[in-house]
Amino acid sequence: MPVSSFLQWLQDTGFSTALRDSTWAEPVIETIHVLTLTVFLGFTVLLDLRLLGVAMRHKPVSEIFGELNPPIIGAFLMMLTTGVLLFCGDPVAFYGTIFFRVKMIMLILALLNILIFSSTLGRRFSEWEQNPNTPAMAKLAAILSLVLWAAIIAAGRAIAYAVPPP
Amino acid sequence: MFFAAVLKTFCEWCDNSFFGSAVRNSRWLFPFVEIFHLLALGVLGGTILLINLRALGLRFRRDPVSEVARELQPWMVGSLAAMLASGFFLFSSEALRMYFNLAFRLKMAFLVLAILFTFTLYRRVTFSKETRISPLKLKLVALLSIVLWSGVALGGRAIGYTRQVRTETRIMILALPPKCISW
Repeated sequence: MPVSSFLQWLQDTGFSTALRDSTWAEPVIETIHVLTLTVFLGFTVLLDLRLLGVAMRHKPVSEIFGELNPPIIGAFLMMLTTGVLLFCGDPVAFYGTIFFRVKMIMLILALLNILIFSSTLGRRFSEWEQNPNTPAMAKLAAILSLVLWAAIIAAGRAIAYAVPPP
Repeated sequence: MFFAAVLKTFCEWCDNSFFGSAVRNSRWLFPFVEIFHLLALGVLGGTILLINLRALGLRFRRDPVSEVARELQPWMVGSLAAMLASGFFLFSSEALRMYFNLAFRLKMAFLVLAILFTFTLYRRVTFSKETRISPLKLKLVALLSIVLWSGVALGGRAIGYTRQVRTETRIMILALPPKCISW
C-alpha cells in the first residue's frame, strides 16, 4: 500500500477523527510533548556537557549515565507516544511538510549516534571515565547529539507553524 | 492604579522600541528567537528538575544535595538568563497585547515568585550541609520549586493558545522549503 493511501486511511479512522475533533486532546497532548522537553532535552544536554568535559567533571561518566538514562528513556518514550498521537490527529498534513520528514531523518541520525556511542566508548567507560578530559570521540558524539537535538526541536517548532493545531 | 499604569507605559514603550518593532516586522526573527527560548527551556527545566530530584532523594543519592545544586547552579543561571532575554524579545514584539493576556499575567506572577524563591530560601536550603536541614523541609522546598516552575511553564504554553498564530511567520515557514515530492 503506498504511503499516501495509508495516511488517508489513518486520517479517516475514528481514532484520528476523534483526536482532531476534540477541543482538549491536541492542547493537552501538545503541552505534555513540549514540557517533557525539560526532562529529555535538559538531561540529554547535561550528559553531553559531561561528555564534553564542561559540566560535572569530577563525577564519573558512568555514574551520570546511570542516574540520567532512566529518566531520559522514560521522557523519550513519553515524547514518542505524544508525538505519534499528534501525528495521528493530522497525518496527511504532517507528512506533507518537509519539516516533519527532516525531523524524522534527524531523529534516526540522533538515535544512530547514541547506538554507535554506546556500542563503542559506552562499553568501556572504565578505561577513560576517570579522566576529566574525555576522549575526542566522546566529544564528537556529544557535539553531534547537541546539534541534532537542537535541530530536531527547531524542526518540531516549524511543524507546528506549518500545520497549525485544529 | 499607579503600578498598573507604570506597567502599561512600559509595555507601550516596548512595543515602540526599535527591537520590539524589529521582531514584530521581521518574518523570521520571532521563530528564530523562539527556538532559543525552547532550547533554554530544556536546559533550565532539566537543571532545576535534577536538583529537585536529588532533594527528593530520587537521583544522585550518593552525592550531597549541596554538591549537585552548586554544580548545576551556573547552568541554571545561564539558561534562566537566556530564557529571560529571549522571552523579553518575544514579549516586546507584542507587549501591550501581552499586558491584557491573562495567561501571560499568570506566567509573570509565577515567574516573579519562582525567581524570588529560587534565589532566596531555595538557594539557602539546597546549598546547606545536609545535616543542618531537616529532610522534610528539603522535600517541601523541592516540591514548591516544582510547583512554581510548572506554573511558569504551563502559563507559557497557555500564551501560545490564547494568541493568534503569526500569519507572516506561518507564510514564511510554508514558503521556506521546496515543495515536498511525494515519496
